[in-house]
Amino acid sequence: MISGETALKRAAPFLACLGLLALWQVASLVLKNDSFPTALEALRAIPSILGDKEALINFAASLRRMATGFGLAVVVSIPLGLMMGRSRLVASFFNPLLMVIYPVPKAALMPIIMLWLGVGDIAKTLVIFLGVSLPVIYHSFQGAKAVEEKMLWSGAAMGLLAPQRLIRIVFPAALPEILTGCRTGLVLALITMITSEMIARQSGAGNILFNALDMGQYDTVFAMIIIVGAMGIGFDAVFERIRARLVRWSEPQFDIPLSFS
Amino acid sequence: MNVMPSRSDLQAQASPKPAAAMIEIDHVSQVFQTSSGQDHLALSDISLSIEDGAFVSILGPSGCGKSTLLYIVGGFVQPTRGSARMKGKAIAGPGPDRGPVFQEFALFPWKSVLGNVMYGPRQQGVKHSEAEAQSRALIEMVGLKGFEDFYPKELSGGMKQRVALARTLAYHPEVLLMDEPFGALDAHTRTRLQNDLLSIWERDRKTVLFVTHSVEEAVFLSDRVVMMSRSPGRIRQIIDIDLPRPRRRTELLLDPRYQKCVVDIERMFDDGGEAGLRS
Amino acid sequence: MNARVVTSDVLLGLLPIAFLIALWQALVSFGYAPVTLLPPPGLVFGRLLQQLLTDTFRQEIAATLFRLFAGFSIAVVLGVAIGLAAAVSPAINAVVRPIVRVLAPLPKVALYPALLLLVGFGHESKIMLVAADALFPILLSTYFGASTVEQKLIWSAMAAGTPPRGILFKVVLPAAAPSVLTGCRIGLVISCIVVFLAEMITSTDGLGHVLVTAARTFQAVDMFVPLITISLLGLILNGLLEALRSYLLRGFPEV
Repeated sequence: MISGETALKRAAPFLACLGLLALWQVASLVLKNDSFPTALEALRAIPSILGDKEALINFAASLRRMATGFGLAVVVSIPLGLMMGRSRLVASFFNPLLMVIYPVPKAALMPIIMLWLGVGDIAKTLVIFLGVSLPVIYHSFQGAKAVEEKMLWSGAAMGLLAPQRLIRIVFPAALPEILTGCRTGLVLALITMITSEMIARQSGAGNILFNALDMGQYDTVFAMIIIVGAMGIGFDAVFERIRARLVRWSEPQFDIPLSFS
Repeated sequence: MNVMPSRSDLQAQASPKPAAAMIEIDHVSQVFQTSSGQDHLALSDISLSIEDGAFVSILGPSGCGKSTLLYIVGGFVQPTRGSARMKGKAIAGPGPDRGPVFQEFALFPWKSVLGNVMYGPRQQGVKHSEAEAQSRALIEMVGLKGFEDFYPKELSGGMKQRVALARTLAYHPEVLLMDEPFGALDAHTRTRLQNDLLSIWERDRKTVLFVTHSVEEAVFLSDRVVMMSRSPGRIRQIIDIDLPRPRRRTELLLDPRYQKCVVDIERMFDDGGEAGLRS
Repeated sequence: MNARVVTSDVLLGLLPIAFLIALWQALVSFGYAPVTLLPPPGLVFGRLLQQLLTDTFRQEIAATLFRLFAGFSIAVVLGVAIGLAAAVSPAINAVVRPIVRVLAPLPKVALYPALLLLVGFGHESKIMLVAADALFPILLSTYFGASTVEQKLIWSAMAAGTPPRGILFKVVLPAAAPSVLTGCRIGLVISCIVVFLAEMITSTDGLGHVLVTAARTFQAVDMFVPLITISLLGLILNGLLEALRSYLLRGFPEV
């Protein structure tokens, strides 16, 4: 039997959601602004969006780009970060490059990339790829660096060669940190995706948002915000579950927290 | 040298003395909740009376609750049962009348040595110039003249503890509560600080409650040694140390009375089935 | 921190930039990229200096900086206040925690259209977006720093005579300073990014707007100029914050 306290704790995020929606409802009723629909009106607009074929195609495109960008970034960045963490040579080679790219808003590169690669999927996917790569590289790097030397010596004594040690010792040991990086990357993937679609409107969820804005369909605008918000929260929650499962054995991480986990 | 093994003597010690008592601990018990939600009895029915100007050590293996007892006297922890009183008044919380010195030094990293020592006086409303002058004198007394503008991170362990001592002395507590203050230091630094502590203490003979797990340290420093048993923490024996003051380490180490004290206490711990004090 | 250490750190920081510029120039010189798509660095920096002398460009920078500072400042004040409050008060903690859990993973940029509808297309919407995005790292870092303050520090202060109300500002806040400032650094970077993006999405002025305008007319050089500008601004602001951080945390051991 779950105690009242734990039940409350678990329900807290949902209560928070309800609380925020309630706040919204009250605020919109008070402000009586035409362009500020109530929460209920926005919620009611959601089914029509999800039922609309065009919108679904847009969503699918968005998610596809996000998945591709994220997947590619992870596949490239984790090995790179691990190698940087274990080899000073590799690190000093890539570090300067990364340090300069870091502060540049990746989505801001959209127009330039579009100039080079034209409008379309590749440009947006590339931007998502860049956005996700940086945190994943950084965290893989940190995780690999922190692997105890003695563990690797034990591995070498057991006859493992350097690449094997990388895969079988460094990677699992650094996994908690890597997954933290992936979590950040996931958040950034969603953000970069939306932003790039808002800048280069052609297809995708960001596109739907601004089309609705231009056409004065304010219900749709806010409904889309709820949907995108739900996506963000949903992805993060699911990922966090998976992450906790995969690294059950690890000590709690105390990096700059993304949220209360 | 006077060893008091009898229970009746213990009881006499435990019953509160009139006026002369600085600290009275009256049937204090402490229960903690473990992470799995169970109750853990850390201290069991501790009664102790400490008179003004006494240097009393609380000696025991780790886990016997001696630090907890100190924290209760300090007012940082409220006892589950029983009470602690200072000069007759119940101890409700921390205050400048009982100054702590912790094993981890607990210096404010954002303040210099001078800033740390001046903290107490400034809190009590002392003017800046006066607080500074007092603090500089104290810093010199603990042997750190010239280091006033250094930050804690730039100091060695022994130096940090000297600053901690100066910081506590700066607000003139009547009682010093020392929680294994030399435990984190190497043996050489430890002996130096023990000597320095005694010479500082000789000046105004404050009441000192000193927690340690070292028999030699307890005998060397104190007038009385309160021996505690492992959890639940109970008082096993209270031993008077009648060695003359001022005590010099080099002389004392060769003094047979000192040696007998140490050996007797160690034997008592061994006899009690303890696995020795080297916890 | 003596002067020698500062200068060698600065030089070390400039190295990657110099490297990248060299790489850039190489790409152009060796013909890997057509000049219309990737103008040589010399041209871009020349144009940048040219623009810096014009009033209009300086006004754009001013607009961007204004929104950046306003949003960042709001985020710092709110983030530190809420973070501290949540760390010391269980009641506030219980309320703040679930709300932050819900809002933190939400892409705040999705709120931008809502902000536009509510407060219009001017400064306010961008400032609010910047504040919303920069808030969470600062809040979380402050909370983390404040809730992991060493207990003995608080006890020492209490014994020295600090009243319970005073502990927050005399002990918790200074002890949490390293975490708070790290959060601020992240918040600053985010502010730079978000203000630029917001201006790109909709704006009538600001550096982001300059880039979008240049993009519409296919002027590659004019596109690079605002991008470089915001990056330089980011580096300068970051450097200033670092200097402030070093000074404020001069007593703390290096984390």
